[in-house]
Parts: sequence; C-alpha cells; structure tokens
Amino acid sequence: MSLGEFLADRLPTVVLTLLAAAFGFALLVTLGEGTYAGGYLAGAILLAQALAFALEYWQRRRFYGEVERGMARLDKKYLISELLPEPGFAEGRIFAELTREADKSMCDAVAASERASKEYREYIETWVHEIKTPISAARLMLENDPGESAKPLSRELTRIENYVEQALYYSRSGGVERDYRIRETTLRALVASALKKNAELLIEAGASIRTEGLDRTVYTDAKWIDFMLGQVLMNSVKYRRGPLEISVVGAAAGGAVSLTVADNGIGVPAGDLPHIFEKGFTGENGRRGAKSTGLGLYLCKKLCDKMGLAVSLASAPDAGTRVTFAFPTDESRRMET
Amino acid sequence: MDKIFVIEDDVGLRGELLKLLASYGYACESSNDFQNIVPAALAAQADLVLLDVSLPYYDGFQVCRELRKSSAVPVIVVTSRSSEMDELLSMNLGADDFVAKPFNPQILLARIAAVLKRARPAAHEDEPLRYRELAVDVWRSTARGPAGETELTKNELRILTVLLGKRGRIVSRDELMNALWQSDEFVDDNTLTVNINRLRRKLESIGAADYLATKRGQGYRI
Repeated sequence: MSLGEFLADRLPTVVLTLLAAAFGFALLVTLGEGTYAGGYLAGAILLAQALAFALEYWQRRRFYGEVERGMARLDKKYLISELLPEPGFAEGRIFAELTREADKSMCDAVAASERASKEYREYIETWVHEIKTPISAARLMLENDPGESAKPLSRELTRIENYVEQALYYSRSGGVERDYRIRETTLRALVASALKKNAELLIEAGASIRTEGLDRTVYTDAKWIDFMLGQVLMNSVKYRRGPLEISVVGAAAGGAVSLTVADNGIGVPAGDLPHIFEKGFTGENGRRGAKSTGLGLYLCKKLCDKMGLAVSLASAPDAGTRVTFAFPTDESRRMET
Repeated sequence: MDKIFVIEDDVGLRGELLKLLASYGYACESSNDFQNIVPAALAAQADLVLLDVSLPYYDGFQVCRELRKSSAVPVIVVTSRSSEMDELLSMNLGADDFVAKPFNPQILLARIAAVLKRARPAAHEDEPLRYRELAVDVWRSTARGPAGETELTKNELRILTVLLGKRGRIVSRDELMNALWQSDEFVDDNTLTVNINRLRRKLESIGAADYLATKRGQGYRI
C-alpha cells in the first residue's frame, strides 16, 4: 500500500480538512483576528490531520506488510490466519476474524476431501483384494475342468488380473503415505518373478528371453518392481514386430545398479518420446492399433519417483525400446530396511 | 497319501481347491465352523494347512499363531493382500510359505510339494513316478526303463514330470514352456524342441521308445 493509494482512499477527509482549514482561516480573518491567527488555526487543523494520517498509515502498513511477508513464506496460502499479527485497529480485527473463519472452513473442506480420497483409496484396495478370490476360483475351475475354451479364458483372466493390479497401483501411486517396503533382494529374483507372472502372455507371443548380469543386490520393494516390470514386459508383447526378443540386463555404474529391459519391437516415434511417461498419453502406436491405456509407463514413473528410483526410456522406430531402472545402492537405502 | 487341511471361507474357491488337491492325489479336509477352526485343524492331523488370511471370527494370522502354539504342522498362507508387510507378518508368525491370490494353480501345487518335502524327515524316501515300465526318480533326476537307466537334465526331468502328471492328456508346448518358466528356466520355442528331442532319444535308449507321443499342432502326450 503506497502513500498515494492510502490518501486516495481518504479523499473526502482530505477535501473536508482543507475546507475546514480554509473556513477557519476565513472566519478569523473576517472577525478581524488577523491573518496570523487564521493561519495558525488552519495550520493546526492541517497538522492534526496529517499526524492522524501518519499514525494510521504506519499502523496499516506494518500490519499488511507482515501479512504479505507471511503469505510469501507459506506453502499452503490458506493457512495465513495462523500467521496473522494482532491488528491494533478495528478494521484489522474484522479482517483477521473473517480470514480465520474462511481458513477454518477451507481447512475443513481440505480435510473432508482428503478423507474422501483416502476412503476411496481404501475402498479400491479392498475391492482389489476381494476380486482376487473369485479370480482364483475361476483359475482353479479352468485347471480342474479344462474344456474347449480353457486357453482363451485363461488368457482373458490374465488380462483381468493385469487391469486389477493396475487399478491397485494407480490408487497407491496417488497416496501420500509411504506404503512400500524396502528390502534386500537381487535383480535375478525380481526379474524371475516378473517373467513367471507374465509367462503365459510372453510364451504365447513366442518371446525368447536373454538375461545377463542379474546377480546384483538391490534394496527395493519387490512387489512394486514386479508390477513395473510387468507393465514394461506387457508393452514389449503389445508392440512387438516379428519374433519377440527381450533382453534383461543388469549393470552397475556410479554407485547405482541399473536394470534394462530391451525389446526388438516397433519402437516409439521421436515426437512421442518426451511425453512417454505422461498420464493418458497413448501416442502414435496407441492410436494406430494396440489397445493402450496410457497408464503403464505413467505408473512406472510415478511409483519410481515415490520410491526414489530413476526410470528412463530410449527408443527409435523399428529399433526397439529400452527401459532402464536405476536403483540407488548407497548406505542410506540400507538404513531404511 | 498326504493330507491337507484347507481353511478358506469362500465356498466357491474352497470347492475348487479341494477338487484340485484331490485330483493331484492329496487327501483333503476342511471345515465351515470358523469359530472353532483351530481345534478342527489340529484334530485333522494334517500334513499341511492351507490358510486364507481374511476369515470370519479370527483372521489367518491369529489362526496361524494359535496353530503354532501346539503344532508344528507346515502352514502355507494364501492371501489376496499381497503387500510385503503381510508376507513378513505371516513368516514371523511361523508360516512356511506365502502364496498371493490370484495364484497360478501349478505354482500353488509346486509350493505345496516343496513345503511337504522340506517338512518330511530325510529318511522317508519318495516313491518314483511310474508309468508302465518307466520309473522316474525325481530326487535323483534319473529315469529307469526296461533297457536300463539314464540321467535327466533339469529341463528334461521337468518336462517328463509334467507329462506324467497329466498322463493320457495332451500337453501343449505352451504349457510345457510355462512349467519350465515356473522353475526359472526361461526357454524359448527352439530350446524346448531341443529338450524334447533329447528326452525322446534318452527314453529310446532305456527301451521306452514309444512312450512319448507327438500330437502334431497340439503338443505331447504320455
């Protein structure tokens, strides 16, 4: 608030004060008290008003200045009422009171929305767990009474399982809670588990798998990695071209262990690469044929970010795709276990 | 015959589980009285308990703890809550293994066999798998026929046990490959062909030439 703005707001007072000073001066001169007495009265009126303005200006500037500085420091601006200084004037008190009320209502609304989203996430978790029992029963039925359509049905069940798992990790990726658990494991164990889980679809796609350098220790949540590797492997199956070849290679470089899954598929056009980890991005390949949800890689990135892993993708059309996960191996990770 | 006590409250899943286990030669028992499930499980004197986690009255973790108080029976926890935390909790409560739903039936069977094998006293030797004049010793990885004995590689043994487990039925190449993958051998189509051919030559050499039949475009059968 500049002085000009302050005075502009008080234009009527300024005009009336000037009028009062002029009237006092004219009155005393008319009554024959002389210009000296008139000037004295007018000056007194003006000085008094100027002092009153100065005091008021100083008070408000101090108060609003502090509010603004507090605001700048705050991450969640709506919490400003917690930082409000005690205002020494009535308007300020009204302002502070209203702000506090508005903030309280905002906090309530935010809490309600967080609760609702947490409840929804919990519901998704429960739902995912519930649906697994009938899926298991259906799998057993196919095993016990294999009929004509056992194979296609089993494939559809696998697809259902994949979508269900995606829903679970989508809901987990949104939460602020730390719901993963870092433990010591090896690249070999992680890769073997993911390959086994997706064996049916990989074998049907005629995949030939090459592994290398997987005897390395990493600290991570095996279940999360299992899901992410599954997403990457499913992409390789979806976007294959000719006989599918997948190589899974572990390497150590600069204090980190990396795991690269490379395929010989159709690859990603250069224009799509910058958006490849974006939510809902299906790109050229997704539009052209294979069903794409634009969620798999997005979730990989999000879960990696949450767990402190790096993930990157390199690809060119007709030259296959390489997805690399980098695991930190430093002592801090070990401490977390 | 090994006896398995199944603790699972979902009637549909339990029925299918009992059917699967029975068809693979296990004696099974289960109970619907979940308030007294621990005494029932103990009374069954089973060789293994298959335990679901979400149950009425007591959850699977409590049941596991109660079982452990008076019995060392092997326990495999089957759960749909597949977080690392649950796995850790079950192991700390004395479960022997942990299988996440939805499970691959073959994986479940393999885990059950592995846990039973571990729990069995070493002196108790396993019966070889027999078919006509062929006897396969799984633990020594050998096959004996009318004309002698031969050693089998890990892959050959796995292929042979899968075919013998489904004797009389055609087993597709995909199924065989899946079985190999589940034992950490990520073979491709060509490797499977090589393995099958070698297995067939070995069977010939021990006088079991016509045992392994090829069904063109469908798979193999013993």
